[in-house]
Amino acid sequence: MRYQKRTGRLTFTGRKARMATAAVLVATMVAACGGQDDGGQGGAPKAPATIPTLTEDPLTLSFIWFDWPPAQALEDFANEEYANERPNVTIKVNTVPNANWHDAMFTQFAARKTDFDIAILDSQHIGEAVTNGNILDITDFVNENIDVEAYDPYLLAAYGQFPQAETGQRDENASLYGLPLLGDTWTMIYRKDLIGDEPPETWDEMISVAEKCQADNPGVSGLAFHQANGSDAAAVTYNTVNGVYGGNLWNAKERKIEGVLNDEAGHEAMDVLVNKMKPLTAKGSGNWFIDEVNAAVAQGKACIAFNWIAASGGLLDPEQSTLGTSREEILDKLGFATLPAQKTNLVPLGGMGMHVSAYASEANQAEALNFMKWFEQAEIQKKWASAGGVPSRTDALESPEFLDAQPFNQVYTDSVSRMRDMWNVPEYARLVDIENTNVNAALNGVKTPKEALDDIAREQQSVLDSSSREGGGGL
Amino acid sequence: MSDSAPLTTDRPVQVASATPPAPGWSRRLSDRGLAVAFIAPALLLLLAMSVFPLLWALYLSFTDYSATRGGPAHFIWFGNYTAVLTSSQVHQRALTTLIYVVGAVTLQTVLGFAIAYLISRRTHGRGLLTTLFLVPMMLSPVVVGLFWRFMLDTQFGVINSMLGSLGLGQVEWLTQQRTALFSLILVDTWQWTPFIMLIALAGLTAVPKYLYEAASIDRASEWFRFRHITLPLVWPLLLIAVLFRAIEAFRLFDLVYILTSGGPGVSTETLSFHVYKVAFLGFNTGTASAYGILMVLVVIVLTQFYLRYLNKLKED
Repeated sequence: MRYQKRTGRLTFTGRKARMATAAVLVATMVAACGGQDDGGQGGAPKAPATIPTLTEDPLTLSFIWFDWPPAQALEDFANEEYANERPNVTIKVNTVPNANWHDAMFTQFAARKTDFDIAILDSQHIGEAVTNGNILDITDFVNENIDVEAYDPYLLAAYGQFPQAETGQRDENASLYGLPLLGDTWTMIYRKDLIGDEPPETWDEMISVAEKCQADNPGVSGLAFHQANGSDAAAVTYNTVNGVYGGNLWNAKERKIEGVLNDEAGHEAMDVLVNKMKPLTAKGSGNWFIDEVNAAVAQGKACIAFNWIAASGGLLDPEQSTLGTSREEILDKLGFATLPAQKTNLVPLGGMGMHVSAYASEANQAEALNFMKWFEQAEIQKKWASAGGVPSRTDALESPEFLDAQPFNQVYTDSVSRMRDMWNVPEYARLVDIENTNVNAALNGVKTPKEALDDIAREQQSVLDSSSREGGGGL
Repeated sequence: MSDSAPLTTDRPVQVASATPPAPGWSRRLSDRGLAVAFIAPALLLLLAMSVFPLLWALYLSFTDYSATRGGPAHFIWFGNYTAVLTSSQVHQRALTTLIYVVGAVTLQTVLGFAIAYLISRRTHGRGLLTTLFLVPMMLSPVVVGLFWRFMLDTQFGVINSMLGSLGLGQVEWLTQQRTALFSLILVDTWQWTPFIMLIALAGLTAVPKYLYEAASIDRASEWFRFRHITLPLVWPLLLIAVLFRAIEAFRLFDLVYILTSGGPGVSTETLSFHVYKVAFLGFNTGTASAYGILMVLVVIVLTQFYLRYLNKLKED
């Protein structure tokens, strides 16, 4: 044996080594503890009212979005058009799968370091980002550089204002944290060759038409809509029916959900969704989201479908459709309409805004502000519409560039005054998860409609009421 | 300058063993110092990447810290632990995880051992067969999840298409409460049965031939040989494989994420998937840390019991 087997007490050197290791661990821990306070200020930092001097050096302006056709459209459009004004700037739109979108942005925000300069946030993410100080307050910048009168007030509020505006309004005294990038709402997609040229006007009529169409056309389901428990799929579906049947998601002023969501109108909406609409969907469609609904329409497997307008472009591509060999042939069979009304004519607000990361470098923040100012100009908004985007300025929405670009664009313009959003609060991610999983459970027979809705209301209320100081926050 | 050790020798083994440590080193660095210098990088890496995060998570588990909200972490002592242990949501996920672990590991053990037993009895093509069976294990769980998701799709999936051609009806593999969990077990079994097979095959090939020869001379039946020679000798190795698989299955996340996203409802949400939601949807870092620590503790305690049983088995 080269070394004696050590037994009993440690040698002085051994003790020293262990003590040193322990000291390193403690020191690292203390250092890390101390490091926590830096982000504790809360609230968003302010962007300057005027755009700072821009760099002439090569610069990449990075966005983060989820992977869908508008993301590529934005990158192509911005690189082509913005280069005319800023040739030294390259636009990069980084994408992640839809299900990872929130996590991808907020884990970087949590690290207080982002590899993107502009976060494309869902309108409901704003509360979380503002409260945590992750994005810039651009109120002064907007007042100085943006023609706010050019927008429908609610669109401007929905993609930028916090605290959240009341449905259909904008609080001019509230701060703004973003500007519209892509407007969106649901469109009703219907088979003209199966149910006729005129779309149903009421929700009840729509269900009857779908029922008859399904009975008359074996192999084709009456309806196709989002039911998945990921992202906000099933939640948006229920919220849409809830709005149409006169329900409310919450009382924002009193932060009350229990008793508001699950009131009589709410229960009626859930009953319609689960007992009248679900039986008209394809078997196994309980995990369908955007792509699956589009696939069902493109393969001629649905009489009536609901989907986001910005995701509907592929339906007219003959290479992806069995409905025709040309765009015209497909359009002979497919019609696009605003959602039917019932007790109200509300439609879901979709789309996203641009928000400047508080952790981007000063040069990139300045460039981001310049890009946003450029993007919100009337002419650029029209060009964005021609490139496949959905603008937000009223003049662009009513322009031939937008209305003639796609057959469903008129649906968006007609829907603007009918929009309603979800809760824009820091607890959004948990609220939407509770609603998604419970609506999905009801749609797939795991819970009864009443049980599911009461569970949503109770669990969401407890999220709003919970205090993390007691422990167990998030459960 | 002292003499240096010879670089080459005609009798390397003998000379090398007799050569004293290079005196040049001893003045600056002792052998022990040299040993510490060699292991220090690995040790520091381990401390930085494993030990520190674990201790840090332990610290956070006693606080209300949120990674996104920032601000100082307030000590709430065992508040998070109490909340996790008494949460009905956690109990539900624990039951789902238990059913999944027992179902998947049992199925994999039976199938893996059966395949290994059959392969071990072949004399030709054993290597090729083993390699082919190992292919699923080499794939990324995300890739496996994605292609099984397509295959199990009720409307467009190949599995239902095959069932249809046999005159059977459509099965909602991923959207019904019972079939969704079964589908997860099925896919995990497809991927990880080869692991059990591999370990069992190693055990089977290590069984001394003379035992079988002696049994043949005694005209012992196939069942007798299996029951009294094969199984007792392979059993300890198989139990180790089961241990590894059970630990892996206990922390299942990727397949759930891709195949069912925890649905329908939350009926296929496992503990790991739930921790992920607590950690990244609400960014309740303190609670998620306590949840994770408790999961580690459960694994450690159960493993200890299991290893004791294994040691007892060896001693017997």
